This record gives sequence, structure tokens and C-alpha cells, in this order.
Amino acid sequence: MSGRRGGNTIRGPRSALTDFLAANNISAQQIRDDYQRRRQEGEEDAGEGASAQAPQQDDDEALAVAAQAEEDEKQTKKRKRNEKDAIDKIKKAKASKGGKGKKKAKRGDPDLDDDDGEEYEDEFNKKARPAPGQFEHCEVCSKRFTVTPYSKEGSDGGLLCTPCGKEFTKDLKKEQKAAQKQPVSRKRRKMESEKLDGVAAGGAKSLVQLCINRIAQHHDDVEELGDLPENLLDRLSAIFSKKRVMKSKTLPLFLRPDLDAVIVHDAAYLEEEDYQQIFAVCPNMRKLALSNTCQFKDASVDYMLERCHNLQHIQLYAANLVTEEMWHRLFQEAGSKLHTIKLKWLDAAFEDDVVAEMAECCPDLERLKLKLCRRLGEPAVEHIATMKNLKHLSLQIGNSVSNDTLIDLVTKRGSKLSTLSLDKFIDADNEVLQAIHDNCKRLSKLRFSENDTVSDAGFAALFTNWSNPPLTFVDVNSTRDVDNNNPTGPEEVIGVGSSGFKALMAHSGPALKHLDVASCRFIELSAFIDVFNGAQTYPALEYINISFCNKVDTSVTAGIFKSCPSLKQLVAFGCFDVQDVVVPRSIALIGVPRAQDAIEQFGVGIGVEEAIGRMVEKANITAH
Amino acid sequence: MNDLTEYVTLISSDDFSYVVLRSTACISPIIRRMLDPSNGFMEASTNTVHFDNINGIVLEKVCEYFYYNEKNKDAKDVADPEYASTLLIMVRKLISVSFPTELCLELLMAADYLDV
Repeated sequence: MSGRRGGNTIRGPRSALTDFLAANNISAQQIRDDYQRRRQEGEEDAGEGASAQAPQQDDDEALAVAAQAEEDEKQTKKRKRNEKDAIDKIKKAKASKGGKGKKKAKRGDPDLDDDDGEEYEDEFNKKARPAPGQFEHCEVCSKRFTVTPYSKEGSDGGLLCTPCGKEFTKDLKKEQKAAQKQPVSRKRRKMESEKLDGVAAGGAKSLVQLCINRIAQHHDDVEELGDLPENLLDRLSAIFSKKRVMKSKTLPLFLRPDLDAVIVHDAAYLEEEDYQQIFAVCPNMRKLALSNTCQFKDASVDYMLERCHNLQHIQLYAANLVTEEMWHRLFQEAGSKLHTIKLKWLDAAFEDDVVAEMAECCPDLERLKLKLCRRLGEPAVEHIATMKNLKHLSLQIGNSVSNDTLIDLVTKRGSKLSTLSLDKFIDADNEVLQAIHDNCKRLSKLRFSENDTVSDAGFAALFTNWSNPPLTFVDVNSTRDVDNNNPTGPEEVIGVGSSGFKALMAHSGPALKHLDVASCRFIELSAFIDVFNGAQTYPALEYINISFCNKVDTSVTAGIFKSCPSLKQLVAFGCFDVQDVVVPRSIALIGVPRAQDAIEQFGVGIGVEEAIGRMVEKANITAH
Repeated sequence: MNDLTEYVTLISSDDFSYVVLRSTACISPIIRRMLDPSNGFMEASTNTVHFDNINGIVLEKVCEYFYYNEKNKDAKDVADPEYASTLLIMVRKLISVSFPTELCLELLMAADYLDV
């Protein structure tokens, strides 16, 4: 009955009865043949009458009833032929069903009757398909197997045994999939996604990127990656991870004895043996970075400590199966050489006293990142404050940490820090910023996000008369008052507001590369216009994120284009007053609503001046 | 010989020569620097560059890529070369650069060397 669906519904000159016959394995031509034969026999027996009339009518209809009776009698002889016909019909129906429902020209079908005749004669002469239950030799591997109703037919007409049949259908499916034309919208989406990843910023893709894509596409067939330089190896491993094909089979491609660093961006599919392999093949590694290492267990840590004596940088995200004792042991044994420790997403273990151990055993620690480690709290921060050589510190601690502890941390370590990232410390207040102002003299990267206590005045005070040189990276996203009962915010502005923003840009403008003020919705339009007024330039600024600052409008965007000659990406989700932007060359504008074809627009080969000119024209036209 | 010739020659490790437009070859910053007269390299005076580490087949694909790249420099949404044939681009007549997968790794090394 499966042959009925899709291509086998009634069409064209084919009648319902023909359909019925086909579905019930009744061959019209065969009936005709039998009838002719019987007629001849009947004539010889001198009985013309009734049988003479029938051929005048349409073959199929007249003979159907008679055929039924005949069928029952001559079942065994016809069964082989009928089975073959039925299989042919089903195959034909399936072939026409493929191609996503598009109706291909029915080459054979419209004139079914005529074609049927030729086909059946041909198949009549061919060897019949053996009935289910009988033995047959496989076409591909020549093994003997029992024929079932589900046995597949091979490409030459012979039957395939079950394993070969499975392979055959798999290959067939692959071919069909490859032959299918990709719908255009999906391709567009893919292109946009790649552009958002920063892969291709308009124009043709680089040859390196094309090759990497091709390799990732054929990851199954790659046997060895040869002598690729480490940066390419890293890019390739990133793409493999993104496509979720970094598995036991593909991992060895990225392991070489001479490698300095082993970086796996998504180790979710890797298991214990794979980790053993990593440490076995690359014992001299100095940097180990594993993300999503869910299967990284104590035994693997043990082996790592045994094999790798040069480890200086460790990054383990989501290594939740490592026990508390193992963490202790790790720092005790390898801590003396460690310069970098980055740990994220640790829920099950990793308590405050492990941090104490870390502080004690890792005197040379320079980079520390502890985010989303559920069990850490205030004592951890206190221990961190004792690490004397810290240069880069990044913390996100869920449990509450008192302001005094934070201030203590900043006071003690601030002078040496060049990176300070305090994420989601909701209750940190102006005093903390004051401490930063007083103690940090060589910061270049500052993140202070998701906070609703610090006021605008606090930020302004931080950036005014600060002896720190201009920052290169500032991220103050989501610093604002969140109160559903008071959407316009309190009188005294909480979070980065107009004065804070202006002070920030005044202080760091000359060197700033990355600016993120997303969700700082209390920055006024006037502040934006003042800062991005076109006359003042910010030569290093490459990335700006002003999402959800809903006071921003088109003139601000124009000002940004004018003031930031090195700009590459401008992210502006949720800025509803930005309309009809004409984007200059090599700038990617992401997130502006009512964009014509995509959520992002690319500079189409025009200069900044021309872009702004066009925008002004458009504004004038819409005004009149 | 101070004015720059329009065409330059790129020679592979197995002595295949490819004569291409200077503008296309200079898409690679490495080649551009080699051919820049102010740097005083031998390549600049002869307008020829020898590549001892890139063989003929790979260099041919690289040259094809140069042309493809220059043609699509200012284009907005450039189709992936593999898809070029399936989209309606008769109007644009993009040259597509498709290459056999076997060539991929060597091509990747050459592309990385040339920074292109």
C-alpha cells in the first residue's frame, strides 16, 4: 500500500481502475494475454459468442471481474511475475515521490497502458525474483541469504543481503540528499550566521576559509592533517567543534607530539580513552584548554599529572566529574608551575578551600578566571586577594559577596591588575568603584556588568581624574536600575548614565577598541550625540554595542560612522529609532529593525561620507 | 624600469609559470610586498616570484582564487563558490572557484603562507 502515496494518486489518463489493479498486483497486460489465449482455445472449441464481445470494450474494465476469478486459479504461476511487477510499480512510485514533491515529467506514466506492455514483456523474459523464504546470492558480496519481502534490490537488478541492503539504502539516501537543491532562504541564513561569527565581512571569502570549510565538510575522509601550522590547526578544531564532529575518530587529527597547546572547543563527545590519548601523544604541552569537558574524570587528571610536567596554562570548562580531592591534588602537584587557571561551570565540587589551596600552591599565578562555580562564595574572594602576582582577574560568583571583601580585593591586588572583570556582582556599590579608582593604575580591560546599585555619579567619579591610562576594553552592559514599577528609573540615575558615559569616553576614547554599553538605557540621546559628534574621532574603536539603549537614533549612528574610522561592527539590537541607515564599506551593522533583507547590513562599497550624505538626503525626503 | 607592468609571473616549485594581473596577485599581502619596488627585492625588478613550497596544481588554484576574489571585492552577498551554480547569478557571471577536495590541505597551507 505504500506505493499508493505520493506519486500514485490519480493523474491524467490513468483511471481509478488501473490504479486498483496495480495496487492489487493484477497485471492488465497479463489478463489480456490470458484472455487472448483462452479466446483462441475457446474458438478452437467453437465457442465464440460471449467472448467475442468483450475485446470491443476497454480492456481493463471488462476483464477485471473475469480476471479476479482467473487470478485465484493460476495464483502460483502468476505470483512470481506479479511480485516483480508490484515491486516495479512501488519503485516507480517512490522515484516519482522523491524530489520534495515536485512533479517531474511523468515520462512513463501518462501512457501507462502502452508502456506497461513493453515493460512486462521485458520482465517476463528476465529471471523472476525468488519468493520470500527461498535462498539467493547477494549481488554485492555473493553470500547466501534468505529472501524476505524487505530484501532490497541492487543496482543491477539482483537482490542484496541485509547488511549490503542497508549500505545500499544509506548510499542512496546520501545521493538524494546531495542532489536536492538547498532552498535559498536556508543558505541565506547560513551566510548571515557566518557573518555574525565574524567569518566573512562582505566580499569574497578568504581562500583559507574556503579550504577550512571544505575540510570540515569532509571530516569523515580526512586521515591526517600533515604539517599544518598551529593557528590553522586551531581554526580547524574550532570549526570541527562548531559542527559537532570533534569525536574520538577526529581527535587524533589534532594531536601531534610537537604541539605546544591542545585546544578543544567542544569536548562533549570525548571520553576517558580520548583524554588518555591526548596526554599520551602530547606530553610536552604547555597549554591545555578543554571546553565542555563533561567526561573529564579523576583518572584522566591523574594521568595528566603523571605525563605532563610542563603545564603552565589550564583551562577546563564544565569538568564536573572531577572530585574535590582531585582538585586539591592537582594544585598541590602542578601548582608551582601554573600561570593560568580558568575554570567555569563547576557545580558539583570546587569549594572555597580549594581556592585556598590554589592561593597557597600557585605563587606564580597570573591569570585567574572563576565563573559560574556554584560553591564559591566570600571566602574564595578573600583567598584570591592573597595571590600576589595576579595580573588578570575575572570573577563571576553567584553567592553574595560583601562589599568590604571586594574592596579589600581591589585594594590589595589592584595595583598590578591589567584586567579586572567583575560580572554580576549585583550589590557592589560606589565604594568598590572608588577603590578601583584609587588602586588600579594599569588597567587596560575593565568589565563591571549586571549591577543595579552603582550610580551614574559613581561611574563619573571613576573615570574623572583617573591616573590609569585609557582603557582598551570597556564592558559595562546591563548596569541599570531594574524595577518594573518604575520604568523610567529613579531620580538619581543608577548605572551608567549620561554623565558616566561622557566621562568614560572622555577618559578612554583615544585608546578604546571595544565598547559595550548594552542595556544602559538611561543614557540620554544628548549624551550620545555629544560623544559621537563627528568632530571628535576615536581612532581605535572597532566594536560598539549599544543594544537596548532605546534613546539612540539615526543621527547617532551617522555620528558613530563619522567618528570611528576603524569601526568594524556596530551592534544595535532594540534601538527602534534607528531607521534607513546606509552602511559604509567594511562596517557590519547588526540588529537594526526593519532592515530590508537581513538583520544585518553590510557596507556596499561606499565611503563614510557618501553614506552619511545619503542618510541625510533620506531624512530630508521623509521630513517633507 | 620604474613603471609597474600590468602582468606579473608566478612560478611554482615544479617550474609551471602563471602570468596574472598584478592587481590580482597583490591581493596576497606577501606577494604585494615582494613585488613592491621600494622594498628592493629581486622579485620586484624581474616582476617574477618563485614559490619553492607551492606546486603547480595548487598555484593554479591560487591564481584562480585571485581572480575570483578581485571580481567579487565589492559585492554584498557573495555566494559560496560551491553554490554558485545553483543560484540565479546569470546576470553577475561570477567566476566560481571550485577545487577538488584532495587538493584541500595543500591549498590550505599555500593560502596560509600567502595570507590570502
